[in-house]
Amino acid sequence: MAAVRGFKIEPKQLRIYGLIGSVVGIYLAYLLNAITGTTIFSFVGALAAILGAVMGANAVRRVCAYGIGTGVPSIGMLSLGMGVVAVLFGLSIAEQMGIGVLGVIIALVYSMIFGYVVGLIANRVMGFNIPVMEEGLTDLSGAGTLAILGWSFAISGSLGYADIVNSVINTGFLAIIFICGGLAILHPFNANLGPDEKQDRTLVNAVMVGGMSTIATGICALMTLGLAAGMVQIVVGFAVWYYFFVWYYRLAARDASAVVGTGLLPPTVQ
Amino acid sequence: MDAFGMGLVAAMGALATVAGASEDIDSDIGSQSNPNSQVQLAAQVGNPHRIYNKAIAGEPPSNALWCTTAAIMAYVLIEGYGMPLLFAAAAGASLAALFDGVMSVSAYLGRNASQARFNQWIYLDILRYTTPSIMAHVWITSFCIVLISIMQVYILTPHHPFPIPVIALVWGLTVGAIGSSVGDIHYGGEREFQWRLFGQGLNTMLSGQIVRKAEAGLRNSIDNAWFCAKFGGPCTGMGFGLTVFLDNWRTTVFDPITQATYAILMGVFFVIVMNLYNFYCELSARRKYGPYPGYKGDIAA
Amino acid sequence: MNFDANTIIYLLEIIVGGLLVGIGVHFVPVGGAPAAMAQATGIGTGTVQLAAGSGLTGLLSAGLMMYAMTLSPTFAQDGYSIWPILLTGAVGAMIMMDATMLTGSWIYAYAVGAPFASAKVNYDPITKFSQPPYVAPGTVGQGIPTVCFVSGTIGAAMGGLGGAMIYFPLVQINGNPAMSAIFAIGIFMVDAVLASWNIQGTIEGFHDPKFKKWPKAFKACLVSTAILAVVAILITPLVGGA
Repeated sequence: MAAVRGFKIEPKQLRIYGLIGSVVGIYLAYLLNAITGTTIFSFVGALAAILGAVMGANAVRRVCAYGIGTGVPSIGMLSLGMGVVAVLFGLSIAEQMGIGVLGVIIALVYSMIFGYVVGLIANRVMGFNIPVMEEGLTDLSGAGTLAILGWSFAISGSLGYADIVNSVINTGFLAIIFICGGLAILHPFNANLGPDEKQDRTLVNAVMVGGMSTIATGICALMTLGLAAGMVQIVVGFAVWYYFFVWYYRLAARDASAVVGTGLLPPTVQ
Repeated sequence: MDAFGMGLVAAMGALATVAGASEDIDSDIGSQSNPNSQVQLAAQVGNPHRIYNKAIAGEPPSNALWCTTAAIMAYVLIEGYGMPLLFAAAAGASLAALFDGVMSVSAYLGRNASQARFNQWIYLDILRYTTPSIMAHVWITSFCIVLISIMQVYILTPHHPFPIPVIALVWGLTVGAIGSSVGDIHYGGEREFQWRLFGQGLNTMLSGQIVRKAEAGLRNSIDNAWFCAKFGGPCTGMGFGLTVFLDNWRTTVFDPITQATYAILMGVFFVIVMNLYNFYCELSARRKYGPYPGYKGDIAA
Repeated sequence: MNFDANTIIYLLEIIVGGLLVGIGVHFVPVGGAPAAMAQATGIGTGTVQLAAGSGLTGLLSAGLMMYAMTLSPTFAQDGYSIWPILLTGAVGAMIMMDATMLTGSWIYAYAVGAPFASAKVNYDPITKFSQPPYVAPGTVGQGIPTVCFVSGTIGAAMGGLGGAMIYFPLVQINGNPAMSAIFAIGIFMVDAVLASWNIQGTIEGFHDPKFKKWPKAFKACLVSTAILAVVAILITPLVGGA
């Protein structure tokens, strides 16, 4: 198993990729759907959501490296809790002001401000004194928002408030986005926790879970968007999942002290 | 109150009991949630082991994921394709089990790879024979919970206003919370540390010294399921079954429209009874076990 | 969106609900991972998850009760009445929490075989039982003594009450139970996580010295819920928005 591709990304760089890539992806999906008049391209929204989730996973990685006393899951739940509120608000207010498509930006800005405030509260009021807390929570709430937006788009095929409410919220599909998006953000670091945790392995895991979420939203899309759009999404999700799962396995094999088919305990300690 | 509704509530309670039990056994096989900290610590204090290390984001979120996944699949099949309820629930549970398999494998690989410096190996045979067992238990859990949600939304009157996936999410969180607070004690407090003195919690000095050897050969995670299925699993099932049954019973027996007060008072009555029962447990445990021998004299009031 | 006196009331209800959740978390006796090894007093799980499990069970009950009210023939004149909804939420949460603690107690008492004791106080404030002789060497207590059980019941009641109190105005604002439920879950999670950060993961109940830190959580939840609540009241029902 020689030469597995690894990588290292600076948080700032990743934030740019995550934010810009995700927002551009959602709008690209919107435009493609609007131009062709179909809903086939909704899967692009799901791919955009994965970018956001990867950014969130990196933020979890940075904040939780300090130890926050309650385990990794709580911070993921916080991220998605902020995201849900921001998305509903952004889409609703944009619809009321008649600037429907700008809802994405409004939701993102609101959530990032809110994340920053929560970070400030955590550091100042509760005395965490984690230097990256504000930054990390800003990233996290932005990531949660983008993940929810992207996957909601993948289910509804539209950015209109009414469409999202009808096809994502009234059906309850927001629940799967909530928890799947949350897992895509918090599972990678949690699953790779340990002293030899590596950034590339964690992020590849995030993409892998994102692929699974895309399969899930594809199943939802079978009902809301019809067979074709749903199937495309399931296939794309499966492809993403498979590629990154194999990659993840190789990275794990690279980092592990040994991968054995079977065997007793390692020789040094028997 | 009608007999049909009561039957449904009883069935929901039974399903919840099964769901709780299988949830706990699933988490014990995978060493998920709290006992995971000791499995994780074991390698770090020089005890590499052959126990599954499935750290999927704590039990409540992960169970919420399985149940919600099963619920969306079932919902799509019921609403979109007009499939029968039972078939839809079974199909949903199968998808949830697949998701769980992937997440478990990735967690086992990731956690063990991140402990390379402690010489913790990745054993592929563990993945091959333990993961299906975990998936099977997750299948049972999510099947039962989706059925509960379906009953609440489609059959039980008044129909629940929340959509099926949201109800499944909440029940998933709840069963995970109960599983990690009830069944895990049996695994973490008893099964992981069987060679210490019985009748006390884990001495902090012994942290990480988990049992790694079995009656013959090395202990594996299936052995843990064998042990925990005898008490920890049923207790978890009891906890979740009581939650689902009592909570729905009071709104079925007493009509929530006209007899809301009685429904609430009935709930308060249950709560008081459970408080008293716990007091009885405390009293009997103190009387039967007595103080620890190492204790030097009581403190004057 | 039209502002009137009701809007202010909705806003206040959401904020009070968030505060109840935040403070309620402080009452729930959670020992975290050590408690699962019978190494610490309390319930062996994470704060957020337990609070969420109980509070959201309460939310399910409250949602059912609120929906049942709309089926009443006199609903058009009466409208919603708030107390049954809030109380049923609290009772649902209490049932979940008590069932969890009770079955957990069985395991502590009959599988681990340990008497319940708290290491934070010398005497149980409710039963007046002496605690130190029953604390196993090398641990900080085990099991769920009566004071923790009662404290947990109170905490669950506050959590369920808070969840229902967030849900109740939301349904009146947007008229959509599904949306309100998800929204309430979101607000609930934010407050529960902030509160659990404040207690750093473990607490034994209202007798624990850590409980005195609650004003910090109060401030934090006040600020964050206020920001969320202002947004929540701006969300319109679909009919008006579309």
